Amino acid sequence: MKSTIISIIVAIAIISGAFLLAKDSSLGGTNLPANNVSIIDGKQIIEIRAKGGYQPRKSVARANLPTVLRFDGKGTFDCSLSVRIPSLNISQILSQGEKTDIDLGISKAGNLKGSCGMGMYPFEIEFQS
Amino acid sequence: MKTYIFHVNGMHCQACELMTESEIAGLPYITRVKSSLKNKSMEVVGDFGDKSDKVIAEELSKILAKHGYSLSLEKPEERVNWSDFKIAVPIALAFIALFIGLQKMGIVNLVSVDSVSYGTAFVIGIIASLSTCMAVVGGLVLSMSATFAKEGDRLKPQILFHAGRIISFFILGGIIGMIGSAFTLNTGATFILGLVIGLVMLTLGINLLNIFHSTKRFQLSMPKFISKHALGISKFNHTLTPLIVGVATFFLPCGFTQSMQIYTLGTGGFLEGGFTMLAFALGTFPVLALLSFSSFNINKSKKSGIFFKTAGLVVILFAIFNIINSFVIIGLIPPIFNF
Repeated sequence: MKSTIISIIVAIAIISGAFLLAKDSSLGGTNLPANNVSIIDGKQIIEIRAKGGYQPRKSVARANLPTVLRFDGKGTFDCSLSVRIPSLNISQILSQGEKTDIDLGISKAGNLKGSCGMGMYPFEIEFQS
Repeated sequence: MKTYIFHVNGMHCQACELMTESEIAGLPYITRVKSSLKNKSMEVVGDFGDKSDKVIAEELSKILAKHGYSLSLEKPEERVNWSDFKIAVPIALAFIALFIGLQKMGIVNLVSVDSVSYGTAFVIGIIASLSTCMAVVGGLVLSMSATFAKEGDRLKPQILFHAGRIISFFILGGIIGMIGSAFTLNTGATFILGLVIGLVMLTLGINLLNIFHSTKRFQLSMPKFISKHALGISKFNHTLTPLIVGVATFFLPCGFTQSMQIYTLGTGGFLEGGFTMLAFALGTFPVLALLSFSSFNINKSKKSGIFFKTAGLVVILFAIFNIINSFVIIGLIPPIFNF
């Protein structure tokens, strides 16, 4: 019983320690404008922040345009740094500094689904024609 | 010269056959001995004079006692203690709820750094150990340490695992820093690795529940003829396995481990890279130690049934999580978990 109590105390200490030690790091940067899709010189750019998942989780973009996914993986160390889009056979590790572009070619109408390298952070892009 | 058949209590692994056989075969008055995991029995041919079966069983039990076996004439009663589940299920669910809660609270968002010092690598390690990586590395540690504890070997495998992990993180991190390229697995390899880990954990988890005796058949063990010749008796299971698993955690699909390796690429030297990965590994140590040493000292306690069933349930849930995620990454099924 004693060891159980010790274990629980240690567990609480580790979890609260993690929050305390990392407290001063800002949780900002996760709020992207609702409109994360822009078209510059005929090229569609979809911006996604990759950190503890993908924001926004679902984007709406136009089909039949040359499209680039622009991931921002600044300061990210979790799984979202590794992006996988199985249907396009894409597996890419993002840069922790600059933004990383993934060229999708001409977008096709429909839903494009991807996730992080371990599969638990999903993201989705709906291409509307 | 007579043939005796005894039931062996504590026979649970392939190596047990060898272990019991080699102990008994060394006795001068024994001609032949054959153990069977399937029947949990031992056939002994030898000259015991006019001793009764009962006395022989007791004598041989004394020799085997140090390895945790005993012989009996009657088939030992195998009963499933279902009442353990009344406590084990809520504890396991609470643990999983805590795990999901930590992910939902966005524990991984706590990491926000531009440059990594050894101190931040340590903090990233702590957070990694609380993240979904716990389902992979933590699940593996828990399943392995509980399985070893169930077999009566508590301390040594744990120490070997953690030593293997920490030392290999330093050395492999150093190599990455030196050569400037990381070991990244492609989608196919990640899928296979994730699936294999999931299946191993599922098997170990079911074994820990101790309800289906037939699943022992699927237990991972070296073919007997290899272990007999190459590695000596049961040394494989308890010494080399935890060490290898500890080293292998460097390559397991855990986002944080991968990201740290990518970062380590840029450190540009053996010592810098080595110390960065070492600091990270040390950061993951408290949680992993808690998981692995939770089984310390539990085997003899009355509550051990509850502990092993709780551990089994948690391991099974983690295993399912890993298996589903491996199918997600190859695109076979859409993402299910949404942390």
